[in-house]
Amino acid sequence: MATEVKLPRLGQGMESGTIVKWLKSEGESVQKGEPLYELDTDKVTQEVEAEASGVLLKISIAEGEVPVGRTIAFIGEQGEAVAESPDGDSAGAAPAPAETRREPEQQRVAAPPVSTTTTNGRIKASPLARRIARERGIDLSSLTGTGPDGRIVAHDLERPAPTAAPVAASAATGEVESRALSSVRKTIARRLTQAWTVPAFQLTVDVDMTRANELVQGQRELNPDVRITVTDVLTKLSAQALMRHRDLNVQFSDDALLVFPNADVGIAVAAPQGLVVPVVHGADRLTIAQIAEARADVVGRAREAKLRTEDLEGGTFTISNLGMYEIDQFIAVLNPPQASILAVGSTRDQVVPRDGELHVLPMMTMTLTCDHRAVDGATGAEFLKTLKAFLEDPGLAL
Amino acid sequence: MPELSYREAVRDALATAMRHDDDVFVMGEDIAEMGGSMGVTHGMLDEFGPERVRNTPISEMALAGAAIGAALQGMRPVAEIMYEDFMTLAAEQVVNQAAKHRYMSGGQLTVPVVFRTQGGAGWSPGAQHAQQLEAWFVHIPGLKIVFASTPEDVRGLLWSSIYDDNPVVFFEHRTLYGIKGSVPEKIEPIPIGKARVQREGEDVTVIATGRLVHESLQAAEEAEKEGVSVEVVDPRTLQPLDEETLVGSVKKTNRAVVAHEAVTRMGFGAEVASVLQYQAFDWLDAPIERVGAKFAPLPFAPVMEQFVVPHADDVLQAIYRTVNKKV
Repeated sequence: MATEVKLPRLGQGMESGTIVKWLKSEGESVQKGEPLYELDTDKVTQEVEAEASGVLLKISIAEGEVPVGRTIAFIGEQGEAVAESPDGDSAGAAPAPAETRREPEQQRVAAPPVSTTTTNGRIKASPLARRIARERGIDLSSLTGTGPDGRIVAHDLERPAPTAAPVAASAATGEVESRALSSVRKTIARRLTQAWTVPAFQLTVDVDMTRANELVQGQRELNPDVRITVTDVLTKLSAQALMRHRDLNVQFSDDALLVFPNADVGIAVAAPQGLVVPVVHGADRLTIAQIAEARADVVGRAREAKLRTEDLEGGTFTISNLGMYEIDQFIAVLNPPQASILAVGSTRDQVVPRDGELHVLPMMTMTLTCDHRAVDGATGAEFLKTLKAFLEDPGLAL
Repeated sequence: MPELSYREAVRDALATAMRHDDDVFVMGEDIAEMGGSMGVTHGMLDEFGPERVRNTPISEMALAGAAIGAALQGMRPVAEIMYEDFMTLAAEQVVNQAAKHRYMSGGQLTVPVVFRTQGGAGWSPGAQHAQQLEAWFVHIPGLKIVFASTPEDVRGLLWSSIYDDNPVVFFEHRTLYGIKGSVPEKIEPIPIGKARVQREGEDVTVIATGRLVHESLQAAEEAEKEGVSVEVVDPRTLQPLDEETLVGSVKKTNRAVVAHEAVTRMGFGAEVASVLQYQAFDWLDAPIERVGAKFAPLPFAPVMEQFVVPHADDVLQAIYRTVNKKV
């Protein structure tokens, strides 16, 4: 009796998901726990693992949006017939088998020959190297092995992969290279296009970072085990400012304005697969050191493509810091459904007139983008004024 | 903590159990006046008398059978089989009787017997007195198999073996009797089925038994000088096997060497390698290396014996192969 593969509910409030592509084709053998297909939800694109072992007998829904719980494929034994009811949802079509009894039989199913990704034979790689490559989405054929007989070992995946530059150079001049869109790229495109439909306004302010920099230094000395950055201080002070300006810690929905009790601050991260925004939950209640730890954890996992759905859920505000790229200032695009996002530029020495004299001060320019359906200009301005005051005199945030 | 030799540690476990418990007694060939061919039971006749330190005729089958009979009657006998090569003569009793009665009686009978035996090369005893036959007995359901490598372990594990209600084949290594080590003041039973991490390391796990534990520790020190960090794990009991500790260590280091003095072919290490490849497949960064004796009867000639059985350098070369290091 074949096992039905149903679309899982991966997070609270998930009603449907979009199947991006199947990682196995019909007739191929599948082990429980192996990635089976890529699923796009409004939060994240992720690989979904098979919940049973056997042969992928039939893919009922190849791609597109599917409601949660719908049967999308069947896994069973080679040559087994699949019973499917007309609506594609075969729940109740036949009694469910006792799955625990199936295991020994399934293990005996011989794996059909699987084509490798190389043109001439098999890639020599250790099991550990294969696992790391699978988890990080690295193509083993792009690597050179340093193990015995050129075997790819784990160490080879730690080195930067040879860049694609030589390939590009060898392409004929003027020829356009076409790269298939990754599912993360598709999600970024869809969500930012959606953001563009939201009426937004921007507010810009310059901040004297003297005291904030001192605070970063002081915190580093106090917490030598944690790498504390300006982003952590910005996260903490933004969270404190959000708690004073609850009207900014909101989301616009069709029938109501949702006002959130906590400041869950998203931090935009340039991961190898594209932009992701993991969330530091309850930043208003965490110390700067705790924020630094939480940030290092989620950002680290974002870079390793190991984020979980809950890491990306529930943000009420986003910080995008391009200071490390020496960008003076920029305007960020909203991260829907959040109502505001803060774009942070680099801190650089500027001549500033103060009390009739010229001072050289470390200045930073930040720009707040707000969803005008939810937030008015004055609300945004008041928040920004408080945040500027906190950054210039962090003691005020206490 | 007091220091005991491996030989004294075995004797201490036997004598302490006999003082503590009238059901425990020892029997074997030449174990009374002579104190056993390895001197393990030396002096015990004086303390416990001929009823409890019993010389037997030269028939391993008879003495094993007598020990099993006593165990079935509620005693806790410890039978010494002078050389593990001679376990082949006792095999019918050990394999077909001791291992089976508890199962075949539906649990109505228990066989709390210990077969102590010793073997191993390194002193030129030749092909019939130096074999390592532990794999023969690990293959038999119903037996527990212990192979300790240090004074502390041999004492604590022999104690647990005496008080286990199942038959235990207890292997000692001839060349380890003289090694010394500190032991707890009072005997602390060591649970059967728990491995010991003898040395922690990051790059390679060496799983070794008996004499090879010491050879592996020596190899680990050499490897350390070359920047390779080696973890050495002694399973101590071969059946039941502490798979969790072995697999956990290999998942940490990603590389494994399995080492014993017995021949590699069909050796205990083959089973360990199988457990590792199945449970830690996705963690392995190199093929599992096996170290054991060459597939040949052991020669008398010392240089030839030295050549056939593995030593620290063989373990070291295997360690280097797993990290693809050329030395």
